Amino acid sequence: MSEKDIRIGAYVCYCGGNISDVVDCEQVAETLRGLPNVVVVRTDLSMCSDAGQSLIEEDIKEKGVNRVVVGACAPSLHEVTFRKAVARAGLNPYLYHHVCLREQDSWVHQSNPDEATAKAGRLMLAGIAKARMLEQLDTIRLEAEQHALVIGGGIAGLRTAWDAAQRGIRVTLIEKSPFLGGHMAQLETIFPTGENARQALHELIEKVVSHFLVTVYTNAELTSARGYMGDFRVTITAQPRGVAEDFAHFDEAAAACPVEVPDDFNYGLTTRKAIYLRYPDAIPNTPAIDWKACTRCGECKKVNGTGIDLDGKPQTIDLTVGAVVVATGFQPYQPREGEFGYGQFPEVVTLPQMIRLMTMQEGNGKLTWNGHPVNNIALIHCVGSREIPGVHEPQEDGRVNDYCSRICCTATLQMTNELHERFPYINLFDLHEDIRTYSRGHEDIYTEASKNGVRFLRFHGDERPEVTAAPPDDTSPLLVRVKDYLTWGKELEVPADLVVLATGMMPNPVSDIVKLLKITEGNDRFLLEVHPKLQPVETAVPGVILAGTAQGPMNIQETCSAASAAAAKVGVLLGQGQVSLEPFVARVNHDLCDGSGQCVAVCAYEDAIALEPVLVDGKTVQKAVVSPANCVGCGVCVSVCPNHAIDVQGWTLEQYEAMVDAITADLPKLEVVE
Amino acid sequence: MNSRPDPNESENPMNTPDLKVDALVVGGGIAGMQSALDLADQGYRVALVEKEASIGGKMIMLSKVFPTLDCCSCITTPKMSAVAHHDNITLLTTCDVQALHTNGNGGYTAKVQQNPRYIDADACTGCRQCEYVCPIDLPASYDLDMGATRAIRVPFSTAVPQKAIIDIEHCLLCGKCEKACPTDAVDFSQQPFTFNIETNAVVLATGFQTTPTDAKREYGGGKLLNVIDALSMERLLAPTGPYGHILRPSDGKEPESIAYVQCAGSRDQSLGVPYCSRVCCMYAIKQAMLLSGALPMADITIYYMDIRTFGKGYEQFYQNAKAMGIEFVHGKVARIDEDSEHNPVIRVETIENGRIAERTHDLVVLSVGMLPGENLGPIFDVQPADDGFAAIPDPTLSPSATGHPGVFVTGTASGPMDIVDSIIMAGAAAAQAAAYLETMRSSVAAGPTAIPEVAHV
Amino acid sequence: MTQDKEAARARTAMLKKLREEHKDTIEHTRVLLKKQQEIRRIISQAMKDGAGTVPEIAGASGLPAHEVLWHVTAMKKYDLVTETGRDGDYYRYALVEEASQ
Ligand SMILES: Cc1cc2nc3c(=O)[nH]c(=O)nc-3n(C[C@H](O)[C@H](O)[C@H](O)COP(=O)(O)OP(=O)(O)OC[C@H]3O[C@@H](n4cnc5c(N)ncnc54)[C@H](O)[C@@H]3O)c2cc1C
Ligand SMILES: Cc1cc2nc3c(=O)[nH]c(=O)nc-3n(C[C@H](O)[C@H](O)[C@H](O)COP(=O)(O)OP(=O)(O)OC[C@H]3O[C@@H](n4cnc5c(N)ncnc54)[C@H](O)[C@@H]3O)c2cc1C
Repeated sequence: MSEKDIRIGAYVCYCGGNISDVVDCEQVAETLRGLPNVVVVRTDLSMCSDAGQSLIEEDIKEKGVNRVVVGACAPSLHEVTFRKAVARAGLNPYLYHHVCLREQDSWVHQSNPDEATAKAGRLMLAGIAKARMLEQLDTIRLEAEQHALVIGGGIAGLRTAWDAAQRGIRVTLIEKSPFLGGHMAQLETIFPTGENARQALHELIEKVVSHFLVTVYTNAELTSARGYMGDFRVTITAQPRGVAEDFAHFDEAAAACPVEVPDDFNYGLTTRKAIYLRYPDAIPNTPAIDWKACTRCGECKKVNGTGIDLDGKPQTIDLTVGAVVVATGFQPYQPREGEFGYGQFPEVVTLPQMIRLMTMQEGNGKLTWNGHPVNNIALIHCVGSREIPGVHEPQEDGRVNDYCSRICCTATLQMTNELHERFPYINLFDLHEDIRTYSRGHEDIYTEASKNGVRFLRFHGDERPEVTAAPPDDTSPLLVRVKDYLTWGKELEVPADLVVLATGMMPNPVSDIVKLLKITEGNDRFLLEVHPKLQPVETAVPGVILAGTAQGPMNIQETCSAASAAAAKVGVLLGQGQVSLEPFVARVNHDLCDGSGQCVAVCAYEDAIALEPVLVDGKTVQKAVVSPANCVGCGVCVSVCPNHAIDVQGWTLEQYEAMVDAITADLPKLEVVE
Repeated sequence: MNSRPDPNESENPMNTPDLKVDALVVGGGIAGMQSALDLADQGYRVALVEKEASIGGKMIMLSKVFPTLDCCSCITTPKMSAVAHHDNITLLTTCDVQALHTNGNGGYTAKVQQNPRYIDADACTGCRQCEYVCPIDLPASYDLDMGATRAIRVPFSTAVPQKAIIDIEHCLLCGKCEKACPTDAVDFSQQPFTFNIETNAVVLATGFQTTPTDAKREYGGGKLLNVIDALSMERLLAPTGPYGHILRPSDGKEPESIAYVQCAGSRDQSLGVPYCSRVCCMYAIKQAMLLSGALPMADITIYYMDIRTFGKGYEQFYQNAKAMGIEFVHGKVARIDEDSEHNPVIRVETIENGRIAERTHDLVVLSVGMLPGENLGPIFDVQPADDGFAAIPDPTLSPSATGHPGVFVTGTASGPMDIVDSIIMAGAAAAQAAAYLETMRSSVAAGPTAIPEVAHV
Repeated sequence: MTQDKEAARARTAMLKKLREEHKDTIEHTRVLLKKQQEIRRIISQAMKDGAGTVPEIAGASGLPAHEVLWHVTAMKKYDLVTETGRDGDYYRYALVEEASQ
């Protein structure tokens, strides 16, 4: 197409005020009118609306516009929206260029509208300069492996696996520990339904493990990953279990095992042996060896020669999967030594511990702890949640948990109700900042707690309660001091035989997975989605999807919804057996390439660019050849090529130069109307 | 494979009396749109039935949305557009589902009535010339009656479809619009039209309502001019709002002192609404932040019982609001009256110091709660629970499954929730509908003896 | 030709039927329209001498301020009134003929 046939439509979006409150969009439009090749200039309150998109479509059809530039929000939001509109009007979707006037301009220059308007003009000019050089491109279409890897065998991973398998997609689920179920297995009666946690969990596990499309590996972790959406090559490393499935002498073997470690199922309240079952009916119901604890003394083997193998080797499994779902879950916040007396006084426990402790207490007679009768319990909310930077002590990474963990309020009140039911004589004190029983059925739990006579005390976030030893002649060993705003800021002292800390949620540490999959964590350390409303379960890496509490605090119901939403995304990506990738990949001009191979040397991606024999004038010579599916279009090869033989399609050096020229040119000179 | 309906006919089902789809989505708010898109993007054919003249639901009325403070139309309108243009989605507006029957093959037949627009939707270009000649100004429900509309109108500027509709209950039948229409689209002869949709799965996304402003006598019973609900404030804050500014209704004054009354319709036994509506803390904080941007000199106070900013990034949002100088007062508002200038006077017991205080503001916003929308019992046989929202048999593991195989419920039809949660849940409903469709398909393939397994276990 | 006539006759009959069916609502709207026209006349009269704020127009017209606001808003939406600037905490409005002068 010759220069004069290029007909550019330029559109400046008000973004419902987001841009136009700062940038004078009409003035920007005025700057663009009459520029060479620019045949239509329009503004609109919201270009991304159906009406706004129709403007573009009509201009393409009726005014012969064949290049489109929209100045609006960040391209991550709506570049694709506009490409689709362009395509609907019959134009190649890559004859579109998106200029960011919001995140890069109006939002960051709110106090300087004049300069922001000038900057918007320059950004649009640069976009138009690039648009003159746009060329038709085609998306890269690839076969997709209809197989998803789900990492994490908690309720989130299980629910995703179930929905995806039902949808007809093969699933491999890997669980790091020897047993399935995650934290849900450690709960008893769950809010808001009052169901038994393990019963509900086991029903789902049974179905998942017996589904013909699902393969489950326990003791397994992801150890390598490469490739792209539709075609990830992953390696899973599974540690041996050490115990055969038909091993029938667990009790004797455990009795023989001389190693005793804190039982993490009971959050360290009890101990277990190095050969263990997480709980009697844990799934899989085969005991496992805790390799970290085991000394390989062989005592367990002496009970019965066969069935235990302490010398097993890890197994590696290579798989090709189309999508990866990260469902690695959470861990309860671990209070620091001395925080609210934790670790300092044996009478201070966390809420997860308290849940376990309740199951260890037989009957409904008297609650005892540490051999002492318990008559007063203080429960403190927001431990490891809603912390204030500068007020509360940061963790090792310098950050505080400034978020709400959302499950603890209801879980705490549920605990008070259970305590009241089983041990009605106990005085219960609930110390909180706000009560956040937000979900369906949760407020009822709060109401019940109030009816049960729980005494509520309310503190300010920067004046948290203090747990101290009581004077020796007091009946209870601890005193909790609190400035209570339900009694107008009075300093109160609450006697406590037991203090329960409602600890918040933190993500399971998954830095290895973050690195392998190149995904990101947010400021709160939880895994980060692209956008909470537009792509709420997707990461910035296409094909890598999030499910459950790895992404943020959630209760089981919310986890299941999120996990199903992740399965829907798997269905969208893989359900049709094909994926399309953006065409912004490197392209080699073989006329200029001299086969120096510098590009191959600097490329950080496997199999993205290689020297291959190419026939030129009857002679076979080595030239760089790009494998589009593996190339991410980073442009490192472009920068080292001595002959300018490589470009990234859609973002060529020429296009960049034109944009830079346009940005740095004197504005008035550019405003000259031809 | 079923026969694919022609998407070009989607606006005119008169030509496609019977439609065969994989999934029927009822309700075109954010939840219904997202479920429809998540199913259509997987290759399933979807019919989306909306009773109003445009899709978008409540969300399209909002200004900017927490927690990202994106302008609401930036999120909603592209989704509306995607629904309208999707090859796999048949969009049916002004339609009511009148009956739903099982069809004996694990699927359902829906009887749908399309109510007349009195407009030939294919001919209408949405130019609004008719609206300009219509002689009667009517309170616009889209602007909570603060602005005006006419008896013939395009529902709002970003409506999808961009087609006019005649409000026959307020039409004079004067015929001016007919003469003004450049494409002869006005058609008074249209009649309600009934047709059937055959579908295998059903997703109910019929949404919520807000507490009526006259619900609480102590808060003026809807009679105080400068006591408005939060949805009205959304319209005042929106760039397309009725006044183009934030003005109070009694006299058009720009308010200098604005108060929020939290839990005005939630956690209130006297109204029979014991539950928390989940969104009001966040939307009040959001509005307060937007107000302090728009009216930098204004004082903004939020009266609350508990601040429940529980979602991802929400607590940080709250802390930012505090840092911006928005005043949070812990106390339950007992009464609202007004002085002779229509300034609302709030009587509150502040819990921090136990005193009863009276404070006068220019404008008071009631943070109204979420009430159940349509009762899904009579037509869909999905009964309401005690709180009025759809009863869910297994809320823990299957939050979107109703008791009926292949029938799912999503978004605020299943309880109060915000947009983020509605979108997640819409994806969940789509996943489960897809699983149901596949198990049905494989049971059909396996022959007549196979019992279709229920997907929502 | 005859076909056209027939169509026209059918149309008239249809409209008649529709009018009959909606007799009550049409009457109701007619009353509303009358009242509206009267209020508009009063407001336009009050605004004749130039722009005004809502309380000013209310004072001059004797109508309640909130009603004035609604009507001015409606008139603004349909281009009969324009906003001309601020006056303290209020905005000023003018009739469109006035504003264009
Ligand atoms: C004290 C307390 C009480 C609660 N009470 C309730 C209640 O009553 N009702 C309710 O609805 N919710 C309750 N919850 C919340 C509930 O526990 C969670 O919502 C739910 O367990 C989250 O499930 P998940 O699958 O996301 O995470 P998890 O349960 O943490 O599961 C994650 C799984 O991934 C595995 N994993 C981690 N890293 C890797 C890796 N690298 N590779 C492979 N696998 C990995 C883990 O071993 C684990 O099995 C409570 C939470 C707490 C802390
Ligand atoms: C004042 C206010 C401010 C808010 N601000 C925010 C915010 O900033 N951020 C945020 O995340 N959330 C916010 N929310 C919450 C948000 O509005 C809801 O989460 C969201 O709109 C719910 O969408 P929905 O699709 O479930 O319901 P709805 O929006 O109610 O949609 C339901 C749709 O179904 C249609 N329908 C109903 N019955 C039928 C039927 N029988 N047949 C056919 N169609 C039917 C309706 O016409 C409607 O289009 C706010 C809410 C309020 C009240």
